Amino acid sequence: MPKCFVDGKEVEFALGENLVKVAKRAGVEIPVFCYHPGLSVVAQCRMCYVEVEKMPKLQTACSTMAAEGMVVKTQSEAVKKGRQGTMEFLLLNHPLDCPICDKAGECDLQDNSFGHGSANMRHSEERRTYVDVDMGSVIQKNMNRCIHCTRCIRFGDEIAGIHEMVAIKRGNNIDITTIDGKQLKTEYAGNYSDICPTGSLTLKDFRFKKRAWMLKKTATVCEGCSKGCNMEIQHEGNVVYRCVPRENLEINKYWMCDEGRFNYRYTQDETRVVDPTLRGAEGAKQASWQDVVASIEVKIRNGDVLFLVGTDLTNEELSAIREAASALRSGIKIRTFGNADVTKSSEDGPADNILKMKSKTGNLLGAEKLGLEPLTGEAKAETVVVFRGGRAVLPKIDSKWTAGIGVFNREESAGFDGVLPGLAFTEKEGTLVNHAGFEQRLARAVRPRGGCKPVSEILMLLLNTKSKAGQA
Amino acid sequence: MEKQLSQKFYEAMKDLEPRYPNKKALILPALHQAQAECGWLPPEVLAEVAAYIGVHEAQIREVASFYTMYNLKPVGKNHLRICTNVACCLRGADELMSYAERKLGIACGETTPDGMFTLSEEECLGACTTAPVMMANDDYVENLDINGLNDWIERAKNER
Repeated sequence: MPKCFVDGKEVEFALGENLVKVAKRAGVEIPVFCYHPGLSVVAQCRMCYVEVEKMPKLQTACSTMAAEGMVVKTQSEAVKKGRQGTMEFLLLNHPLDCPICDKAGECDLQDNSFGHGSANMRHSEERRTYVDVDMGSVIQKNMNRCIHCTRCIRFGDEIAGIHEMVAIKRGNNIDITTIDGKQLKTEYAGNYSDICPTGSLTLKDFRFKKRAWMLKKTATVCEGCSKGCNMEIQHEGNVVYRCVPRENLEINKYWMCDEGRFNYRYTQDETRVVDPTLRGAEGAKQASWQDVVASIEVKIRNGDVLFLVGTDLTNEELSAIREAASALRSGIKIRTFGNADVTKSSEDGPADNILKMKSKTGNLLGAEKLGLEPLTGEAKAETVVVFRGGRAVLPKIDSKWTAGIGVFNREESAGFDGVLPGLAFTEKEGTLVNHAGFEQRLARAVRPRGGCKPVSEILMLLLNTKSKAGQA
Repeated sequence: MEKQLSQKFYEAMKDLEPRYPNKKALILPALHQAQAECGWLPPEVLAEVAAYIGVHEAQIREVASFYTMYNLKPVGKNHLRICTNVACCLRGADELMSYAERKLGIACGETTPDGMFTLSEEECLGACTTAPVMMANDDYVENLDINGLNDWIERAKNER
């Protein structure tokens, strides 16, 4: 492997690697704005200046490829001065409204200004101002904060496949916007906010909700489809505030879709059933765990019983259900459900050419690998028990008595005779197998809401009730 | 969508095409030609040029708004473009601009109600040796002073 030197440290590199990447490997962080590893290189922010021996001028590290024996200095006086000058220009029009900006605390402009800028400002002229623009349901634009890095334009063109963001006019009058102020169309609009190095493109869903540094971060996996995008749940005080993608070059690279990003909402929706309920003569009513467990146990003792398990459940939950079913009684049938049109992994495939998959549940392949068979047609049995993680689409159920165990909202569980609330993906740990066979772990970010219990605990309650009934 | 540009435009483009390494390089001449035909560049024309070049409309928008020669709003019969960059500014371009604004009764960037004059600010016209400079329609008016500007406007008014 060829070698070069960054701040005196010898580093190996692959041909075609730029100095930002090579320096990172040497433990040297080069400040960037317009450069993003997932996008093309334009070298227009001029923040990543480095000095290369034998080259007369400062070079931009993002567009300079490492070469054999190259000697790179990132801390020389010339570099410091160059970066300071760049920072001064970038802040000419920036409003410095960090105290009310959502990006504060995770802002590249803030970090780089602190690390490489000057503490003093010579500029005393008036700053240009723009009116905030509503860019659809996901993004709100504040042009005053923009530094024209064009990451958003390149993201749209290169990743989302839609060139909807434009740079109108030039120089001081530039405006990064959509054509004629149209609303954003892409289903990946949340990424605009992630890649924006300033607080210019903010997520409407997160605006003014929480300061970034208050959030606790839990690395997990999205359960929204069989892609299994890596993401981070950001939460505080047992409330999830947002989900952001986590880098995984083999699966989702740096991105995620809006459906997955906002999927967490149902887990803290008011309509989610969080207490055990039982249907009596006067309709569904809150009941004690013992009562609901006992009535389910009585119903599954005899007759034709079907366990419907969602392909949104984890491998651990699926195996526990299967083991418990055979321990409860022989002859309980188990079928999986999840999507109306995709029941087997062979029917799954990309739903667009970016990330989305056709299967809208996270563990279709996992359930299949465990040897569980999919339900075909409608669910017909005397007694049906539905186990669900929260995303699987409920099939038509034809039964005398139905119970639901897991995550349901009031509307979904309206036809059920008994409901035992389970954990959503933000509240549990477990394994999901994505469409390509990658086994990935869900991590628990928040405590269960209300009286929700894990599936394994609910199964134990059923088994205990059964053995007590046997002794009596 | 109905075509806005004539057969003549497409023929001219066909002649120009071999001169450039790729079709994208044809954006500037295509916009010039389209503007010569329509007087300005309405959104439909920009969309048609984009379709002809084979790029997204957004890219044409970026190019057309970057250069001041392209009119994204309708302009009057006479288009006065006063350079306000460094050399011209030092030689009194700002006074010329405010004189023209008073004389025509419009602000920079506007068109007179009778459609006779449009006044705009121009980036460097590359004639710094003879600053201040104004581009009046397709001609350069160099070493401009307030009298010269006044004369030019009066002459244009009488030519109606």
